[in-house]
Amino acid sequence: MHSQRCPNLIGTVATRSLLVALLSFACAGLAAAAVSPLPPLVDPASQEHHVGKVVFVELVTPDLAAAKQFYGGLFGWTFRDIRSGNTEYAAASLDGRVVAGLIHKEFSSAKHGQPAWLTIIAVRDVDATRDMAVQHGAKVLFAPHNFADRGREAVLADPQGAVFAVLASTSGDPPDVLAEPGEWIWSSLITRDPDADAAFYKALFDYEIFNLPAEEGAQHLVLATDNYARASANSWPANNPKVHPHWLNYVRVEDADATAKKAVALGGRILVEPRLDRHGGKIAVIADPAGAAFGLLEWSDTDSKEVTQ
Amino acid sequence: MNRLTWRWASAILVIGLFATLSSGCIATGGGYGYDGDVGIGYYEPAGVVYGGWGGGYRVAPFRGGGPRAGQASRSAPSIPSRSRGGNSHGGDSRPR
Repeated sequence: MHSQRCPNLIGTVATRSLLVALLSFACAGLAAAAVSPLPPLVDPASQEHHVGKVVFVELVTPDLAAAKQFYGGLFGWTFRDIRSGNTEYAAASLDGRVVAGLIHKEFSSAKHGQPAWLTIIAVRDVDATRDMAVQHGAKVLFAPHNFADRGREAVLADPQGAVFAVLASTSGDPPDVLAEPGEWIWSSLITRDPDADAAFYKALFDYEIFNLPAEEGAQHLVLATDNYARASANSWPANNPKVHPHWLNYVRVEDADATAKKAVALGGRILVEPRLDRHGGKIAVIADPAGAAFGLLEWSDTDSKEVTQ
Repeated sequence: MNRLTWRWASAILVIGLFATLSSGCIATGGGYGYDGDVGIGYYEPAGVVYGGWGGGYRVAPFRGGGPRAGQASRSAPSIPSRSRGGNSHGGDSRPR
């Protein structure tokens, strides 16, 4: 009797052990497959949509730790790390609001690229926008793709080569409020032919275009929707004709001089020294430690500064 | 082990294999699409060089709305001025 029970016992233990091991294996696989989602654009979600508005920006950088240290020190951003496979992503927040995303990507100078902030513009239908963009001469760099909690997104290069993304946010678009210091406040498309590019973006986002007075030989167009200025399209500086067309985004600051100095102390470089602009405040252009460019734009809470036209 | 046990074990093995392989090979909905599991990582074309902004080079919006210009029938709008608390801080030229 003993000799009959013992093999049964051994068989039962072996079977259960095998099942436990297989269940553990399956659970580990499922856990690895479950990727941390990107934070939603708006939390709590809203029903607001503002087609043509720059709603988010993402930095692609070869040194995520250095970027976090730099932007955290400069603007007081805090970060939540998200990992997927070999990819590291950091969601930057200010006062609890997500303001940017930072993505680590190995950089190879042989690929003729450079670290940059990607400008993300709101649309309702990414696929239709992609089709419209292609009809008007754009290139698709990243086909429409769904991102959990974020929405559907695609990356395009406009007919002159400036790179931008379009996003149909599942949580709605951020409200039309004045950016706080440390948040993105403005975007400029710096391009060879502002008229042609403005017509391209108008086809996509139904912008109203306003042609502002500019220095001789230059153009400064304002692109507007919902009766708000959303961005500018600028001809590149006359004495710097070899610029590749690109989008430049600006963070609101209270003191461009002080912030520029701080950026240098944190390892950045000043690309354009602080200078008075049309709105009466100063702007500057900075490169972070990896070389990604962004702007600083003073915008006071009062109207005490004289407008410069 | 009986046949039923083997069926369960085989099913679990298949699920585990599928989940493990999919986590490494498929761009999931977590925000990563380029090159498999790489993020929306796109390095800008080289050649973005700054400098040469002359004294009259302007990029910012007007505060409070700009002058009428070109073919526009009204002045250029500015950026939103309403704060999250609901107060207005200049710059907004939006008709109410």
